[in-house]
Amino acid sequence: MVSLGIGVKKEKKRRFRVSISEILIFLLPLIFFTVILYLMVGWTFYISFSNWEGVSPKYEFAGLKWYKLMFNLSRFHIDVRNNLTWLLLGVFPTLLIAIFLAYFLEIGGFKKGESLIRTLILYPASMSFIVTGTIWSWMYQPDKGVINTLLRLLHLDFLQSKFVTDQATANYWLILIFIWQYLGFAVIILQASMRTTELQEMVEAAIIDGASKLDILFRIILPNIRGGILILLSLLLISALKVFDIVYIVTFGGPGYSTDVLAFFMYIATFQQHLVALGAGLAVIIFLIAFIIIIPYTIYAMKRWFA
Amino acid sequence: MKSKAWYILINILFLIFLFWYVLPIYVMVITSLKTPLEITQRTYLFLGGAPHFENYLQAFKLSYKSLINSSIITVVATAVSTFLGGLGGYFLSRFKWRISKPLFVLIVIGMFIPYQAVLIPLVQLMAATKLALTYAGLIFSYIILNVPTAATLMGTFFFSIPKELEESAEVDGASKTQIFFRIITPVAAPAYISTAIMIFTQIWNEFLVALTLSTPYTMPITVKLAEIKGSYVALYNLQMAATLISSLIPLLFFLLLQKYFIRGALAGALKG
Repeated sequence: MVSLGIGVKKEKKRRFRVSISEILIFLLPLIFFTVILYLMVGWTFYISFSNWEGVSPKYEFAGLKWYKLMFNLSRFHIDVRNNLTWLLLGVFPTLLIAIFLAYFLEIGGFKKGESLIRTLILYPASMSFIVTGTIWSWMYQPDKGVINTLLRLLHLDFLQSKFVTDQATANYWLILIFIWQYLGFAVIILQASMRTTELQEMVEAAIIDGASKLDILFRIILPNIRGGILILLSLLLISALKVFDIVYIVTFGGPGYSTDVLAFFMYIATFQQHLVALGAGLAVIIFLIAFIIIIPYTIYAMKRWFA
Repeated sequence: MKSKAWYILINILFLIFLFWYVLPIYVMVITSLKTPLEITQRTYLFLGGAPHFENYLQAFKLSYKSLINSSIITVVATAVSTFLGGLGGYFLSRFKWRISKPLFVLIVIGMFIPYQAVLIPLVQLMAATKLALTYAGLIFSYIILNVPTAATLMGTFFFSIPKELEESAEVDGASKTQIFFRIITPVAAPAYISTAIMIFTQIWNEFLVALTLSTPYTMPITVKLAEIKGSYVALYNLQMAATLISSLIPLLFFLLLQKYFIRGALAGALKG
């Protein structure tokens, strides 16, 4: 049996003898599925340069034909704008609210109710967007739906809204569901990054020195949880970019194209309009944006693993 | 005086906040127990009359096949991905080899590849192999998509297991495979639970791949719920009953095993 020495982390002098067959047991399944995954991504790139239109595959090379078509579609421009709105309004308010909440729960003397509040804001994270989308469709229903009925009951009729049936604001109401669903997740990540002993000691020292609560938050906590914020930001951005389920279940992209996003257009183009090359092109665009978003996360992860 | 105003403001904000999170789940339960007439009569937030549990019976009749489908697909795909992820994660956390670094980068990015970027080839692959006609299609797809996540999560957990444990076994002449299965795996049981819960929830709740690949015979619960919402547009009581049924299993996991759920979520954020 062939043997080779593999240095165990941080101990270059000591080498354990590990046989190839053992490496294969640990590594082969992982490599196998990772290779399939990336071959599929590569295949999507390839199809986006083909001329595949219709149900059966056509692989002849069409160059940038479908990309040119895509960039000229007004629907594509609307989608990019909607996706940017998602990235901005879905992510940053979540991050901001989560910072304050995590601070209150972890340091601001809210310890008593912590587990109750945590459960309450985290339960949506265990549900699918299809579930929460169905519930919120009923909340938002303009005629007899929950929110408008409640507002009428409280004689606050002027606050009533058409919610997701209103072309001008529909996208924002969808984003609000996303914030609702991801907030708990954001809070626990930030709480965990506040839970280092150095940071706790610094906060205690600052309290003794008489620093105000806001000072503690902005001058001590925020600079020390940059790593956690970076990770959370990447995770939220990528989730906001991939959003498809909420759009499908609540508005199906409407009214008009007001809630259409790239991921939804990709699905419609590929499986309903059978413009497969166009769908693949849209998938490539989504992949490239995701790739850019995930770079900081990957670098951070590398530093942690191979330190 | 200033601090009192602050106190009131914070409490009001807090109440609005609680309302924001309690109302949807409360409404789901209450609406699911009404008749359509009671909903239109606007009995607001309370039951109009006796609770109508027959809504659940009807919703269950519509969705039980999909619940079975989802259970089979999710359990098998979760078990396989977690097991294979455990093996790969162990390698990544313990061995420094030439390919470790590039492989790690590929896997971390693989965790976050938008499903759209693999959807078309996936459909082609499942159609060509005829796997799409059976559970195997969705199971295999979910394994491909979740092995990188499982490996990263498990690897993060393995890091926190002290190496001394393995080193003494190494001296005794145990092979790496023996060490992994006899020593590491029992110690890492909580990590396996956390990872399995994360992946289970993810697959149970997945929609895009399920929608694209499912046949009437393999339709998972998310797709079924979307179908119920589409075909019983005005029957909000039925919709809410089906919603509750389809979210029950992940919700119970979350409520009963919250510690593991949170550990899994944090491992995904590299804080295992």
